[in-house]
This record gives sequence, C-alpha cells and structure tokens, in this order.
Amino acid sequence: MTKRTSQWLEGFAFLTPFILFYSLFLIYPLFKGLWISLHDWNLLKVALNPEAKEFVGLKNYVRVLWGRDMEWSATQSPLWQGLSLGAAIWAVLVARRSYAGRTTYLFLAFVCTFLAFVLGWAPGEDGRLYNRSFWPAVGNTVVMVGLIVPLIIAISLTLAVVLNHETRWALALRTVFFVSSVLSVTVVTLIWKLMLSPNLGLVAELLTRFGFEPISWLTTHGYATAAVVMATVWWGIGISMILFLAALQEISSEIYDAAKVDDIGPVRTFFSITLPNITHAIVLVAVLGVISHFQIFGQVKLLTDGGPVKSTESLVFLIYDTGFRDNNLGRATAMATALLVIISVFSILQLLLIRRQRA
Amino acid sequence: MNVRTRTMRLAITAIALPAFLWMVPILWMLSLSLQPNALLQVTTTHTAFGLIPARFTVENYLSLITLSNTPRWFFNSMVVAGLTTIGVICVAAPAGYAFARLEFPGKFILFVVCLVGMMVPEQAIFVPLYTQFATLGWHDTYHGLAVPRIATPVGVFLAYQFMRNLPRDIEDAARIDGISRLRIFISIVLPLMRPALVTLAILTFLYAWNDYLWPLVSTQKSVNYTISVGIASTQSNFAQSEGLGRVMAGGVFASLPVILFYLAFQKHVVRAIALGGSKG
Repeated sequence: MTKRTSQWLEGFAFLTPFILFYSLFLIYPLFKGLWISLHDWNLLKVALNPEAKEFVGLKNYVRVLWGRDMEWSATQSPLWQGLSLGAAIWAVLVARRSYAGRTTYLFLAFVCTFLAFVLGWAPGEDGRLYNRSFWPAVGNTVVMVGLIVPLIIAISLTLAVVLNHETRWALALRTVFFVSSVLSVTVVTLIWKLMLSPNLGLVAELLTRFGFEPISWLTTHGYATAAVVMATVWWGIGISMILFLAALQEISSEIYDAAKVDDIGPVRTFFSITLPNITHAIVLVAVLGVISHFQIFGQVKLLTDGGPVKSTESLVFLIYDTGFRDNNLGRATAMATALLVIISVFSILQLLLIRRQRA
Repeated sequence: MNVRTRTMRLAITAIALPAFLWMVPILWMLSLSLQPNALLQVTTTHTAFGLIPARFTVENYLSLITLSNTPRWFFNSMVVAGLTTIGVICVAAPAGYAFARLEFPGKFILFVVCLVGMMVPEQAIFVPLYTQFATLGWHDTYHGLAVPRIATPVGVFLAYQFMRNLPRDIEDAARIDGISRLRIFISIVLPLMRPALVTLAILTFLYAWNDYLWPLVSTQKSVNYTISVGIASTQSNFAQSEGLGRVMAGGVFASLPVILFYLAFQKHVVRAIALGGSKG
C-alpha cells in the first residue's frame, strides 16, 4: 500500500459517518427535489402507485413564475430580447479584452442571455403575466423580512450597547432578553395568539382600559402581518443581541479611555466610536436575519394560517400548503428551488462578508 | 463615580421596565396555567392583568399529566433531541478532526461540497425528504425525526474551526511515538475537543427540541408527536379547547426544560451562538 492510498483510507475512515449521512439525507433529497420538480407529481397518487407521475419538463417552473399557459418563442418581444442579447455580446467582448473584472462582465453576459430567454415567454389565452399565489407570497415574505430584520437590529443593538459590561445587573438583564429566544415557535405563537385575542387577550384588555376599541389582530388585514412581526421580533432578538455583544467586546477599551480623557459624551461616543467599529457586525446580522426569517413558517402557520385572505402567506407556508394540502409535490418542489436560489444569494453574500472580515 | 459608569447605571435603570414588559408574555402564561378553568372562562385578566393568579390551583398540571398525551410528547421530544445530539456529535467530531488535521487527496473538494451544504435550508428539502422517508417507512419513528438534522454540516464546521485553533504539539509527539490515528483521536483529540463538543451538543439539543416543520410533516399519529407539534395541535381554538389553563400548562411544560437547560448552560449557549454567527 502506497503512502497516498493509506492517507486516503485514513481520511475517509474519519469522514465516513459524515459522508454517509450528508449524501443520503441532504445531497440526495436536494437532487430528488429537482427531479420531482420536473414532474406532475401528486402526493397521494404516487404514494399508491409509483408510476402515476408524469414528466413535464420545466412546466412547473413556468407555472410557478408566470401563472398558467405561457408560451415561449425566440422572437416574442424582439426589441427587448435583441437589446439584452446585444448587451450580452458586448459584455463578452469587454470581458475578452480586460483582465480586471472579467468575472463580473462574464456574469453580466450570463444574466443578459438569461433575460433574453426569459423575455421570450408570453401569456397565452389566460393573459396572466404572473402567478397569483407565488409572487404575492414572495411579496408578503419580503414585507415581513423588511419589518422584522430592521426592528430586530435596532432593538438588539440598543440592548447590546446598554448591557455591554460585566455587572450583575447587566448579566441578569441579558438573560431576561434572551430567554424568549429559547422557546419553541409553538410556545411563542401559543402565548401571542392568546395575548392578541380580541376577547381574552392582554393587549385587548390594555386597549380597553385606555379607552380604545380592541382589535381583532389575527383576522384584520395589516394587523395580522403586524402580529406575526411582533411575535417574531419578541422571539428573535436574543441571538442578534449576543452577536452584537461579541462584536462590541472586540473594540479595545483604550479608544473609550481616550474618549473619556477628551471628555466626549456618551451619544457622540456611540456614533463616532462604537457604530463605525461594528458596521461589519450589523451587516452580518442583517444578512443572517434575512436568511433565517425568509424561511418564516411556524409563526404564520400557527398565528394566522396565512390569512386573512392570504395576506400573511409566506413562501415556506405556500410550499407546505401546495405540497401537503393540495398534494402537488411538483409545484411545491419548484417553489422550493426558487427559495433555495433566493437563500443562496444571501448565503454567498454572508460568506463574502466573513472572508472580508478575516482578510 | 465617573461619567461613564453613571450613564451606564442610568441606562440600565431605564431598561428595567422594558425588561419586565419583555417577560410579561411568559409570566402571563405561567400565571394562567395556575388558575382554574372556570375563572379563565370569565376573565383572563383578573388580578394585575392576570399576572398574579386570582385563585391558585395545580389541577391543570395534574390533568395534563394524567389525562393527555403531553407526557408522551415530552418523552418523544427527549428521545428525538437526545438521538439527534448523539448523532451530531458522532458525525461532527471525527469529520471536523479529519478536515482540520489529516492530509488526503480529495479533501479540498469534499470541504467545498460540505460548504455548499451549509447553504441548503431544511425548508428547501423537506418535501423530497418526505417522499424519501415514506419509501423507507421512516415516518412516525424516532430515527426518522432525528436523521435530517444529523445530516446538516453545521456541526462539522464548528468542530473543524475549534480543532484548527488547537495546538498540535501533543498529537505530533504521539505520532512520533508511533501511536495510531484512531488511538490519538480517542485519547488525545476527543478530550481536547470536549468544550467545543459540549457547546455543540447543547445547541443541537435546543434546536432539536424546538424543531417544528419536520416533525409536523413526518409524524402522523398523535402519540408520535414531539412536544412542539403536540402543543401546536392543542391551540387551534382556545374557546372550545380542553380548557385554557390546561393549554397554557402545556406551554409551560414544553418550555420549562429549555429554559432550565439554558439557565444551566448559559455560557455555552452564548459562546455557541457567537461562534455560529461567524461560521465559515
């Protein structure tokens, strides 16, 4: 046995359990999901008869993105298609000549070609331009993430700055603000569902005592989204608070001592010293927050069940509903692929950020 | 007392009230679970907005333990979270060691593949996992609930990162003495890795205990629910459910272990999150 083979055997012996689990229960389902998304695949029918699926190519994707009968032709909208193809060719030419930024131009060329392809689709008889459950769900998710992430950052950053010292009180208060984060989503929703209930809830009682009308939060348009956001913020600040505390502790105390010698007030200290030193942490927390809250499911499922009139339906909720209520696994996996693409963009961003931090 | 400490004191006092308000939802749940259902049907905000039990009773807990599936769900969650934790440790420790210390052909590619897997969220693959486990007949089983989380590479990364920062002198000395890799791993590396593994175990247990989507999809019979799914199944309608107090007692029952667990291992949890946030 050569040295190379023995090294190889040694390495793989330690990695076998991981490779086994990883390939069987993560990589395999990942590809199986792509495979299912190319089929007309009804959960119940296929469960009874494995042959009851039909290969339909990209139809599920077309339907998820654009709605029903879309037709593709090479010259659907010649002007726009021509323009984007032209842009693609230009980008390739620039990339051939320049060394710096070559990948950027090639990426641009790819995007433009893809755009030209996409522009080839046009609505059929239905005249629909977009899918009326997928895009609203993406929109709802974006709205929720857009509210949740800034709120979480604002609150947890304030807490982290105030509690950033090792006194007993600060430690105790950190614990208080973190405790809600260790609860499971089902307990969080259990509490908030009752808190916001119009006839039994604490919030309604408070509103009545101050002379307001109690609101039926979970069944009123707009308020339902607010309720989901509120519960999520209450549940989620703990983790970002810890990340901010970790970042704050890396700022050397000498800078603060210097500020103290120069008699600089706490507000200015925060904006001129603290904030510039943790910008990186803020961006990282924002990206992490987008990744995790884009997958919002439990709060929606248990608080509002997507209602009223689907106004709180999130993307993962729609995937679950399509798969396990409508039994349409093909469509559900096509949406899951879309989710994966969206999440991957932010994950790559996260990796780049961490790299830059290291460098 | 200098200016800085004084402003800090002030800030902490200012934050004490929000901190209390932050705890109100949890305290309210606790208080409701200790009140008789007959009273709760009339009002849930009797004394001090219901935060102090108007009439004290433990009847909700007694009926929860003797009459409902909750103890069974609790047991299921214990087994599933325990299995997941053991699985993650057994997979992550040797893999993290191999990535950090061994040199072998194909390591880099494997590492990149592993990195890619970190980006795949459970939510993106739970549908194909469902059909896969249906074929295997793994739904409604403990291992069926534990396995998907064991397959995620996050633990491997934590172990790898920790391992990379450890000095390798002792291992090198042992190598020179002709001790085998396996012996080195078991008697030198594992004890050195213990703090990282404890951290990883605690975090895995917490997440596995609180998991909702996968147990919701994978368990069909009520007796096989984890506590998370079980509690969710009792909260569909407060008005006609088995009594508000009992539902709340279920919530307390599900949260008490994680809260105690967190309070006991606070340092580890905090460190694990700080580490996980800057993973990669």
